[in-house]
Amino acid sequence: MIFAHLRLRRRVGLLAAGLLAGREQDDVRTHLATCARCRAEHDAEAEALRPVVAALASDPLRSAEPPVPASVLAARVAREVAGAQLSVGRKRFWLVALPAAAALVATAIALPPVVKRFRPAPVAARVTIPPAEASALLEEDALARIERNLAREQAARYLNEAGEVLVSVAATGVDCDRKDDRLDVGEAPERSRELLEKRRLVVDEGGDAVASARGVLDDVELALRQVAELPSCVKRRDVELVQKDVEARQLLMRIRLMTRELEG
Amino acid sequence: MARLAQGDREALTPLVERHYTRLYRIALGYLRQRDDALDVVQEAFVKAFQAAGRWDGSADAGPWLSRITVNLSIDRWRRNRRRGQTFSPLAEGDHLEVLAATGPAPDSGVLRREAGDRLSLALQELPERQRAVVVLRHYQELSLEEIASTLGMSLGTVKSSLHRALHRMRATLAGGAS
Repeated sequence: MIFAHLRLRRRVGLLAAGLLAGREQDDVRTHLATCARCRAEHDAEAEALRPVVAALASDPLRSAEPPVPASVLAARVAREVAGAQLSVGRKRFWLVALPAAAALVATAIALPPVVKRFRPAPVAARVTIPPAEASALLEEDALARIERNLAREQAARYLNEAGEVLVSVAATGVDCDRKDDRLDVGEAPERSRELLEKRRLVVDEGGDAVASARGVLDDVELALRQVAELPSCVKRRDVELVQKDVEARQLLMRIRLMTRELEG
Repeated sequence: MARLAQGDREALTPLVERHYTRLYRIALGYLRQRDDALDVVQEAFVKAFQAAGRWDGSADAGPWLSRITVNLSIDRWRRNRRRGQTFSPLAEGDHLEVLAATGPAPDSGVLRREAGDRLSLALQELPERQRAVVVLRHYQELSLEEIASTLGMSLGTVKSSLHRALHRMRATLAGGAS
């Protein structure tokens, strides 16, 4: 009897919280019928938890409707999925292109000694610059130039797109909620988030090639982070904060100049 | 889901239509912020699409999507906490919009908003997984077994988490009321 009491007493609280069912519930209820102390504990606990359960049950968020229709969300998801696939494609390009470039360089360095071994010794007077080494240096240099140009083009495209997003926010005048003085910034927050994801590729993999753009890229990142945090229907004062920040940093002009410089 | 697994983007629309509202309410119950909740649900569907190939197809996609949504809500919550943006009560407009449907008197609206804020605070103070258990139980009315399956927890852990969570919330609500 005492053991049963000790075993079941621990479950009294669970019963009071509505967390028992079936046989467990029956066992504890049967025990309560014969144990006044446990019954008192159960009643006290049930009484204590009642306001919590009531507060949860009356929370209006339980029945809140989503702010945009399912079709709109599905379109956004499809766009994001397409963007992610494109980004994976780009990453894959680098995953293939970089090792391929490295392999080319390694071949260019390693091949000349091998070729030299199987070639008759050149006449001393003709060996001023070993032609194979010159070609390796040339190839390495050419590859480095190509990589540098690619990185700079990518940075220019990124800045160009970021500029478009910031202009679309700064220039918006479309009311989406007149009563609450809110403006529609459309897809700018979403595009900012996408651009922020691309940023790492541009900056980290661009290395020295985009070093001169670092200051602009950092300021653009700050501005995009602000925009990325906005909902699509945003309070006018939040839009004005972004506008002021962009103006204070003369960001649009600097983006234009830097884009031209990167594009050469 | 089988079509999604084959990369068919057209299959997204029926999946979104079927689960959107439910997932939105989970995220909103957890985060208490509409924009964040919408972002989380969108991200959940993107992740579902990307991971559809790994889904074994033997079960309903609902619990799987719920689990993704809960995990993303927890991530978002952590990120907001790091930025100091945790859980500000819903903007006034949001409350009024919700309450308009039930047509309360203005005074009643104010009282409800205060009650909503207290409830948000009580939920905020729960550990992350306990809050998830409370949301799934009291906002989705899932059975304890369904919660255990969704969150990958044992049934006993679900019961004890929920029990502790309710007591903790009671203390917070009582403190706020006094």
